[in-house]
Amino acid sequence: MVLIIQIKRLVADILSILRQFLWARFAKLGPPLLPSSEETSENSSSRRKMDEIQLPPFNRSGHAAHARRCMSALPRSQIELDASRLALAFYNLGILDLLGDLNDVTAPPQWQKDGWINWLWAQQTHGKYGSGFRPSPFMTLHPLESNLEYSDYDAPHLIMTYTALLALAILRDDFSKLDRSGLITFLRACQREDGSFMTTPKDGENDLRTLYCAFAISAMLDDWSGVDVERAKAFIASCRTYEGGYGQAPFCEAQGTRFQPKSEPFQCLRLITLSSAPRLLTGGTTYIAVASLYLAPSSTGSGPLTAIEKAQTVRWLVNNQTAVKDGEATLGGFAGRTGKPADSCYCFWCGAALKILKYDGLIETKPLALFLARCQFKFGGISKFEGEHPDPYHTYLSMAALSMYPPSPLLAEEKPESWKFPVLDPLLNARVETAEWAKKNISGKGQ
Amino acid sequence: MKSRADSEEDQTPALFSERPEWSDVVTVPQYETDTPIAPILYSPEYQDASDYFRAIVKSQEHSERVLDLTEHLIRLNPAHYTAWQYRYETLLALSSPFETELELMNELAVKYLKTYQVWHHRRLLITHLRTPQPELKFIERCLQVDSKNYHTWSYRQWLLSHFVDNEDLWRDELDFVENAIGDDVRNNSAWHHRHFVVFGCGVRPGDEDRARVARRELTFTKQTISLAPNNLSAWNYLRGVLDTMKLPYSLLTQFVKPYTVPLDPKRIDIVDLENPPPPPGAQLPCVHAIEMLADIHEQAGDKDNILQAVELWKSLANEHDTMRVKYWEHRIRDALNSR
Repeated sequence: MVLIIQIKRLVADILSILRQFLWARFAKLGPPLLPSSEETSENSSSRRKMDEIQLPPFNRSGHAAHARRCMSALPRSQIELDASRLALAFYNLGILDLLGDLNDVTAPPQWQKDGWINWLWAQQTHGKYGSGFRPSPFMTLHPLESNLEYSDYDAPHLIMTYTALLALAILRDDFSKLDRSGLITFLRACQREDGSFMTTPKDGENDLRTLYCAFAISAMLDDWSGVDVERAKAFIASCRTYEGGYGQAPFCEAQGTRFQPKSEPFQCLRLITLSSAPRLLTGGTTYIAVASLYLAPSSTGSGPLTAIEKAQTVRWLVNNQTAVKDGEATLGGFAGRTGKPADSCYCFWCGAALKILKYDGLIETKPLALFLARCQFKFGGISKFEGEHPDPYHTYLSMAALSMYPPSPLLAEEKPESWKFPVLDPLLNARVETAEWAKKNISGKGQ
Repeated sequence: MKSRADSEEDQTPALFSERPEWSDVVTVPQYETDTPIAPILYSPEYQDASDYFRAIVKSQEHSERVLDLTEHLIRLNPAHYTAWQYRYETLLALSSPFETELELMNELAVKYLKTYQVWHHRRLLITHLRTPQPELKFIERCLQVDSKNYHTWSYRQWLLSHFVDNEDLWRDELDFVENAIGDDVRNNSAWHHRHFVVFGCGVRPGDEDRARVARRELTFTKQTISLAPNNLSAWNYLRGVLDTMKLPYSLLTQFVKPYTVPLDPKRIDIVDLENPPPPPGAQLPCVHAIEMLADIHEQAGDKDNILQAVELWKSLANEHDTMRVKYWEHRIRDALNSR
């Protein structure tokens, strides 16, 4: 067996040398000793040329239209979203919020906003495990207005509850309908012995994502009595990997996001094109871990991470920015795991983690913007990488990344203002005004 | 997505509402507000199956036909976590053989490889059946479809940690992961798995001598780097071994140096298993090697070493890794300030 592997390696080696030779000969890329494009070495003259690379306009109206289309209806190919519709609502509203489209002249009329608010509150449900929000009425056994207790099969969902609170804050709801004590009971019902949280009280996925949601909800409530913070922190620590990132659960590889299935090509509603089922809030487990640690009330004098841990995590995060040469341009999107290609959503997950750690100054914003510019779909929406179909998840997270890492206005000859976004709160993942509104009104203490 | 009716049983009506054996059930429609957000325009098959599923959940029926219904629904929407949950409870209520269920899962797992629920269900089954051994082959089949699938690797790690005392299960794990890395030296999931196998889950019999294990791991990783130097996964593993074993980075000085300079075409290779040289034609200098050498100097800590580290970081910032120019400048500032 070992011999076979060695022969395999030898053949691979010879092939790679041959390939380098051919490239050098025929593509006139210089001698094979020069680092390849992925290692991004460039001399000063090519860097000068790179400065001349211009950003195209950011297609704000197209992306807003994408979000509004997805708010109005989804084609049957998106049936897999049935159990996570509320998360999709959050991403769509988040897009409109970052674009400033909820308050300006193009804003939806108040009756429409009230309709959305009604639907969101209709998902708040109460019962023996406390109160929270369900993903959609897909398993509701009684008319929504009946106000009967939920069954074990229609219980609230932790990720959906986090997205519901933010979605309502985006719409500037006053949260007078929020069952705060029921929410605390619900958080308690979801935490497990090992400190992690389940998505629903009875069963369900449990990994770092749900833990983050419990922490974010506690922070917005300004009440941590629903979670055992120390046990939860111990769970986070157990997910740390030797690379300096965090996996979804103990033993798991450090990563960005959890992938969900790709949907089939669309059969109807061709205007709505989603690349894949948006992840239920998702991933960026390293972001999730870092954000959770910095949201938590500190119990000791020391910071959430030691200096060595922090340095290792920063190294892992900046190494995920991958340079790909494309003509004169260098595209610098972020990958979610070592050795994987860049994907627009990790520009947020990695970028936001660096922002929280106060190392956002280490990121090159130009290659990031050039990468995201390429992910724009011509009819609106942003995809995970060039050539893929867009979806609200990647659209929102790309814009959230740009709000933390705006490119220099000098980069865009045409409509430089199209690349400007309001400031983002990286811990709660919402624009600052929305995060402030959430904290004030969800806690009920600022009213 | 193909429904089962399309693929297998052409004579069975696609809709449950057309099947006489379901005529006793009063369906429960999906309730909505007047102004739903992102309503899905369901296919008739999905709407029909959902209406019947809600009715079954309401009446708390756990019968054979519920297994049919939930399978149908799962094939239409594998992310329907309630259908999975109710199916599992029905299997338990009926004392249905889990072996049969596992066979069905063998098909569904490959089909819906990226769906959390498929793997969660499988864990529940294996926890009950306590038959981890055949799972290894099954996982290998899944990895042939997608060698970096996060769920698949997580499942293998769960299996090994859940049955941590099962020596048969663990026996060939190091060979398995060596093959996986041999197939693709840049597969970070395989490297991560190696760290889990060697360091993450207790000490295996035969591995009690940790110094010997560390040497074995360093040698293996250095050999792999010498085949493909510009592979961050391998360099990260190398650091991981040293960090985990609390060994100084300076152990690697001799190995790292040839990777930090342009390849000498006239060099004569001396066989040195501890310090395998870069391969002919390698793209050198290697960014990760320069970074490693700088870290070795920084760890040494005295003024001369720090200055040497600074020179290396400068070369990364200005020439070899310009994408991270601000990061390398930060490292320079940090090292100079902390002195």
